[in-house]
Amino acid sequence: MKVLIVDDSPIMRSLIKSALTSNGITELTEAEHGKQALETLKTGTFDLILLDWNMPELDGLQTLKEIKKSGLATPVMMVTTESEKQRVVEAICAGAKDYLIKPFEPAGLIAKVNGIFKRAAQPA
Amino acid sequence: MDAAYVNPFLTSVGHVFRTLLKIEPQRKAIRLATRESPGELITATIGIAGEMQGVVALGFPLETATQIACKLLGQPADKVGELVGSAVSELVNMVAGAAKAKFDCDPPLTLGLPMVVRGTNYKLEYPEDATWLEVPFESEVGVFSLKVTMSAKMVGAA
Repeated sequence: MKVLIVDDSPIMRSLIKSALTSNGITELTEAEHGKQALETLKTGTFDLILLDWNMPELDGLQTLKEIKKSGLATPVMMVTTESEKQRVVEAICAGAKDYLIKPFEPAGLIAKVNGIFKRAAQPA
Repeated sequence: MDAAYVNPFLTSVGHVFRTLLKIEPQRKAIRLATRESPGELITATIGIAGEMQGVVALGFPLETATQIACKLLGQPADKVGELVGSAVSELVNMVAGAAKAKFDCDPPLTLGLPMVVRGTNYKLEYPEDATWLEVPFESEVGVFSLKVTMSAKMVGAA
């Protein structure tokens, strides 16, 4: 499984990578902000995008909207400190498949990632 | 500044440190952060805007910040150098993110991007004339402090 991690925090990318790698998900690519993520998506395919919200250049919600506008079907999970119900609704309405609030336990991240992979594997 | 505005941040510090670092920091008495307070060696700040506005800062001696990065990454101190700033930056981001939700504003308050200051003997002087409240903490990774200035936005203010 190939995962694109989009977060402006190097330590957060490192923590996410560590949690995923420990669970056998090793094809990981990083982007520091939304613009870089959109560039990366032009050249590669991914099974999942983990997307922070508050980032320089292009924030997570705008990035999500751009991804959906481009017609890309790759599932997106927001991984963010934005914890208000309104924010969750905004992201889900914009096309996010799931939402994880920071700080999180690695097990919580893995459960949600596996849930998305499982749903993606089920016939439509 | 209403001292009650600090409470969501105190709760969030506990939540973030417990979840992320598995440690329970012990808070000390709240006090006015005086301009004469010596600056910490590494401080992460983040702005909050909306119905309420303010700035939150977490200040750490370098040893505490390094211990935090080591604990987060499971690496020894000599391997975490470049990520120490990122660690404190992410902590203040999480503390402010969890706290702003507790103000229950509609639309939700927005966060700026965290900024990290390294060095000694500096003062936090923004916003102008703001009253900063400070709560020192002790923890198994060392001491640190939370500083908050927060106020309701004046009606009609830009």
